[in-house]
Amino acid sequence: MRNPYTGAIAGVAGVLLLSALPAAQSTTARSPWKYYPMERAIGDGGPAPKRDLTGTWAGPGSGAAVARGKSETPPPLTPLGKQLYERNKPIGKYSPGGTNDPHSRYCDPFGFPQNMTQEIRGMTFTTLPNRTFILLQYMDVWREVWTDGRTLPANVGGRGRDALDPKYNGYSVGHWEDDYTFVVDTTGLAEETWATKSGYPHSVDAHVQERFHRDSRNDLTLTITMDDPKLYTRPFSLGEEHFRWIPNQQLDEFTCIPSQVQQYLKELGDPAGSDPSAARQPN
Amino acid sequence: MKTKVLMMAGLFAGLAAIDAPLFAHHGAAAYDMSKPVVLKDARVTEFLWINPHPLIKADYKDEQGKVQHWTMEMGSTMSAGLIGLTRTTLAYGDVVTLYVWQAKTRVPVGRFNKVVFVDGSTMRDTQTGADDGGRADTDVGR
Repeated sequence: MRNPYTGAIAGVAGVLLLSALPAAQSTTARSPWKYYPMERAIGDGGPAPKRDLTGTWAGPGSGAAVARGKSETPPPLTPLGKQLYERNKPIGKYSPGGTNDPHSRYCDPFGFPQNMTQEIRGMTFTTLPNRTFILLQYMDVWREVWTDGRTLPANVGGRGRDALDPKYNGYSVGHWEDDYTFVVDTTGLAEETWATKSGYPHSVDAHVQERFHRDSRNDLTLTITMDDPKLYTRPFSLGEEHFRWIPNQQLDEFTCIPSQVQQYLKELGDPAGSDPSAARQPN
Repeated sequence: MKTKVLMMAGLFAGLAAIDAPLFAHHGAAAYDMSKPVVLKDARVTEFLWINPHPLIKADYKDEQGKVQHWTMEMGSTMSAGLIGLTRTTLAYGDVVTLYVWQAKTRVPVGRFNKVVFVDGSTMRDTQTGADDGGRADTDVGR
């Protein structure tokens, strides 16, 4: 029988060891070109600077001891939403061999908002006088957030010469709600993308709001909500993610490469197949 | 060396204590996680450090002397890298013992569990590297 204290002892030991790491690592030559996942920001670093997210942050799964986030909490779907949701076969349930997730099969873009919750690892903010750019490590994606006071477009995906085309990352505007909270509103999303890894859909008219709150110099929290009345019966949370400041500001490359995915699927994913019981389970 | 051991121990144990998210490219539903297949003295024929998952290819001679051609996946390059695996961990011609969670379809493909080298050292997968099929790395990524 497992000792009930084993986990706690290991955890305490781990924290103590981790606290010793900076000292241990300081004796080793460090390359300014390399991301060191074990080299974490220490503590909260003091008060957050005002109206400033600029810099590079480690997100979930980046090995930088980032706190647990929260998953989406979708409400009941409308009949159309249910129809769209049920045709999606997420990889978590159907495995690579059975999913129809266009990213898993072909490296198609996640699109926003999925790219802020799925494989969200490193992220960089950079700012121009009229725009803020959010640069995502996974897939080398950049998002453009206008901060010049414009309003969101209302005619995305419509007919007519002046209508705007839907975009994978949509159309985004941002403003500072207070000195530490940057709010980004987005609409005009490409409908072929999924809102979440688990296959929840979105329409082109979905309105997604992100709230980036800089808790301290070293800590950033993102909360995301989506309002999409065509597909969902009420607005809901798409989740919460935490980020930590990266001391040397360096990230590794991490991307989905179509030829590699095809090789992976051919040699492993498809032969392994899907969970035989997946199709019998409710989506 | 001592510092390296300290760092790795700290990484494993410390991450275990931290409430981090469970990230995974996909689950293990396609695999039989009840007991790993053991490929003793398998010969590595290719090690592909690719995304979404690196692939280990190896030939294994069964008790009847018939050669089986196996392919197995491991955690992503990013996640595997966090626990010390690299693109040179395995190479063509290496003779090792591989533990693999075989696909439920019973074809010779599966999810890597661990590798035991000739010197007895062991390296494990991220998500399914524990002996019971659980995570060996804690929650460093998919």
